[in-house]
Amino acid sequence: MTTAADTRAILEVKDLQTYFFTRTGTVKAVDGVSFELYPGETLGVVGESGSGKSMTALSIMGLVPGPAGRTVGGQILYHGEDLLQKSASEMRAIRGREICMILQDPMTSLNPVYTVGNQVIETLRQGSDSRSTGLRARAIELLEKVKIPSPDVRFTNFPHQMSGGMRQRVVGAIAVAGAPNVLIADEATTSLDATIQYQYLALLKELQEDTGMAIIFITHDFGIVAKMCDRVAVMYAGRVAEIADVRELFNNPQHPYTEALMRSVPNVDDDVDFLYSIEGQPPALDDLPPGCTFADRCPYVFDRCREEFPPAVETSPRHIATCWRLTGDSA
Amino acid sequence: MTQTAASPDTGVAANSSSAIIELDNIRKFFPISKGVLMRRSVGEVKAVDGVSFKIREGETYSLVGESGCGKTTTARMVLHVETPTDGYMRFNGKDTRQFSGSDRREYRASVQAVFQDPWSSLNPRMRVGDIIMEPLLTNKPMGKNEAKEQLDTLLRDVGLRQAQGAYYPHEFSGGQRQRIAIARALSLRPKVIVLDEPVSALDVSIRAQIMNLLRQLQDQYGVSYLLIAHNLATVRYMSHHVGVMYLGRMVEEAPTRDLFANPSHPYTKALIAASLPSHPDTVREEMVISGEVPSPLNPPSGCHFHPRCPMVMDRCSVDDPETRQLTAVHQVACHLY
Repeated sequence: MTTAADTRAILEVKDLQTYFFTRTGTVKAVDGVSFELYPGETLGVVGESGSGKSMTALSIMGLVPGPAGRTVGGQILYHGEDLLQKSASEMRAIRGREICMILQDPMTSLNPVYTVGNQVIETLRQGSDSRSTGLRARAIELLEKVKIPSPDVRFTNFPHQMSGGMRQRVVGAIAVAGAPNVLIADEATTSLDATIQYQYLALLKELQEDTGMAIIFITHDFGIVAKMCDRVAVMYAGRVAEIADVRELFNNPQHPYTEALMRSVPNVDDDVDFLYSIEGQPPALDDLPPGCTFADRCPYVFDRCREEFPPAVETSPRHIATCWRLTGDSA
Repeated sequence: MTQTAASPDTGVAANSSSAIIELDNIRKFFPISKGVLMRRSVGEVKAVDGVSFKIREGETYSLVGESGCGKTTTARMVLHVETPTDGYMRFNGKDTRQFSGSDRREYRASVQAVFQDPWSSLNPRMRVGDIIMEPLLTNKPMGKNEAKEQLDTLLRDVGLRQAQGAYYPHEFSGGQRQRIAIARALSLRPKVIVLDEPVSALDVSIRAQIMNLLRQLQDQYGVSYLLIAHNLATVRYMSHHVGVMYLGRMVEEAPTRDLFANPSHPYTKALIAASLPSHPDTVREEMVISGEVPSPLNPPSGCHFHPRCPMVMDRCSVDDPETRQLTAVHQVACHLY
């Protein structure tokens, strides 16, 4: 599906900075994140909690929780237009129709006092000026598309009457109701059981093939990345440590963090005698060290790492990592 | 954390060490009642329906399965939080139903637990040192100096600094809290620790730290683990024996290596097929199983897995499959064998 090189990026995030201003200091949740997303592509954003992956997503949606949180710098170009310059009502027209998001917990993203059919119709009504005629039929069609069995019966169900997997399917139906160009799935399958997760991932792939939408998969799980994504951005402490095509990243990780992370994940397919583990913990985001944020945990650290943040180095076409070791003048 | 822990696979051969805890055909049914004034029982949830396995000395036994399969209820019975409806458990060869008061106290001290969420399992108002020492001091009164010595040993063994014993839980990260919970569980030098999803709430880079720590402590203390997990990769890395559960029943059981080399029950195969690959080029046997886990309130007849099974035969919906020995150590409950 990587028609990437010959088409224009649908979404371009440039040097995005989202900070939280708290009594105790400024928390740099997202600090200079850049990436591009091409039509039909699946980009994985991996990182641990606090790495800024969800805040990057919320920044794109214009939903950073205020007043403490604010996007203070950078650009988010959607079809060449900067979303950060849009008014609230312009953003409302984009959210849900152009760019959609699926969250981790379907119980909190669905309204417990409305039937699921009602909630699908609500989204459909937003997107069209037609009156209620045909909306019900279209909603049932959507529920069928996300493979909900007997959709006409399920249409009248409330969220609590459904299982977690079913609920997440309903959320999926609502997300694709407006035929979005970009779908952001933020840990969308984390709360699901293994066999249900498997079904849901297959469903998302199918929907993507049908509609040609681009997907940003936010996850902490390299397995999901390996299974689903065309390209991967690895985030650490609010920045992109490394970004590359998925095979290139798995075969040839350049950033020490990526390398260590991959070695620390157990494997279902092979016996592993000993798992590598990364010492220490990620730094506090309100008290970042002056140099590379990974320096304290890095096995290859040298003096320069602690003084200055490393530049982004393109080690091969479309493969970028931010590490001093790659600049050539490491000593 | 760079110390090497022995691989469970290269550990003791399957039958050589003795069982510490043995579960024999254990069942747990929860009644469902209706009505406010006239409460009457209208049925029961068969949470665990005839499960047998052995936890051997110094080994890790893992229970895997999706939510509602009964693995946590089984663990709670091992912890004596839940009393079995039927079947029995033996501890060091002794039937737990015949326990005297002092046997029971000894059992409780010998079987400890570490839970999934280290944010809710530690008392926020107690100092870490007190949290760790509470079980020990309750069971075995000792002098201040001796207690301090014990605490320092435990803190050191789980990779914390001595001074951190004076801190409160909120001053620690998730991984460190899990270390505190492990130290507390270890304080009584138990025979068995029940680990209920011990790493699934932790960040990826911290998980390996905790898994390696648990394996290293197993060598050091000779403790057995009953590991409850849904992540097969974790199970493969941590355990000597694996039992796969589905809707309250054990569908397959084998030493870890045999189970992953030769998964036999269609459900085990489906679980492995559904687990995420570790590399984009990993090719898996495609095995999409449709539908969801049915309600344990009204499980399907015959083999509980038959409505979702891709290899379903006529008799599967009629007869309960019996547990058969594939090899001396590998058991499966399926009509295919």
